[in-house]
Amino acid sequence: MTDLAKEKAARLLKKRGSLSSLGSHEVRAKEAFARTKDSISTVSYMEEPGHHDDIPRPAVQMENTYQLSPAQRFPVLTVKDILKDVLTSYLQEEKYEPELCRQMTKTISEVVKARVKDLMIPRYKIIVIISIGQIRDQNMRMGSRCLWDETHDNFSSHTFKNSSLFATATVYGVYFE
Amino acid sequence: MKNSTLQNTLDKTEQWTRIPSAEETTFVVDEITTVIKEAVESTIGNSSYQHSQINQWMSSIVESSLSQLTKLGKPFKYIVTCIILQKNGAGLHTASSCFWDNSTDGSCTIRWENKTIYCIVSVFGLAI
Repeated sequence: MTDLAKEKAARLLKKRGSLSSLGSHEVRAKEAFARTKDSISTVSYMEEPGHHDDIPRPAVQMENTYQLSPAQRFPVLTVKDILKDVLTSYLQEEKYEPELCRQMTKTISEVVKARVKDLMIPRYKIIVIISIGQIRDQNMRMGSRCLWDETHDNFSSHTFKNSSLFATATVYGVYFE
Repeated sequence: MKNSTLQNTLDKTEQWTRIPSAEETTFVVDEITTVIKEAVESTIGNSSYQHSQINQWMSSIVESSLSQLTKLGKPFKYIVTCIILQKNGAGLHTASSCFWDNSTDGSCTIRWENKTIYCIVSVFGLAI
C-alpha cells in the first residue's frame, strides 16, 4: 500500500474508531505443481501504518494453469458451521462493552479467517466481515450485493444474539481466475 | 486495398491483446468513494429514518452503487455491503478480515450520517 493510501486509511479509522481490516498476502509460485518454495505471507493492519512490507519480495512469474473452473467449490455449509461455532464460543457469556467488543470483532474476524484458510480451498479469495452491536430497541438493516460469477463464487453468513448484544458474521468466497 | 484491411485487423488485434496499465488493474479508493457517496446522497440525502422505507433505500443504494461501479469498466469483482442504522445511542462495531492479493485488491468504507440515520457502505474489489 502506498503511504498516501495508508494515511487515508488511518484518517478514516480515526473518524470511525472501531473499524479495522487485516489484509493478508500469500504468494505461490507454479501452482500446478504445488511447489511452495517462494511463499511469504504478510499480515497488515490498516490501523497501524508503517509495519508493512519490510521484506523486499522478488516479483513472481506465474505460469498459466489453463484451468477454467475451480476444482473444489466454496463449502457454504462447512463455513456456516465454523461461524456458528466461533460466534457462540466467543460471545455466549459476554455483555456489550465498547472496548471489549472492539477487540472482539477484530479477534473473531482473524479467527474465522484462519479457520477458513485451514480448509485449504485452492484459488479462493476470502473476505470475512464481523459486526457486533448493542441491542437497544433500535432498528437496523444490513444488506449486500455482489458482482461476481454466480457459478463459482458464494457466501455464507450467521447471526448470533444474546440478551445484550448481537453479532453477524459473513464470509464471501470469490474464485480467483 | 487488401493491405489496408489487413492492417486494420492487425490494429484491432493489438487493441484486444493490450495489457492494461497498473492504474486499470488496481483498486483506486478515491474514485470508489466519490461514486458511493453520490449513490447514498441521492437515495437518502434528505430523509429521516422511516421503517417502511428501509428496504427500498437499502436496495436502491446497493444497486445504484453496483451499477456505477460496473460503469467504471475495470476488471474487478465487487462486493458491496450496506448497513443502515437508526440513531438511538446504541453502539456498533464492524471488522473485516481479507485473504487476497494486496497489490491488486482493496476495500473502502464510507460512513454517512444525518440526524436520524447512520449509513455504512463497504466496497470490496477483487481483481480478476
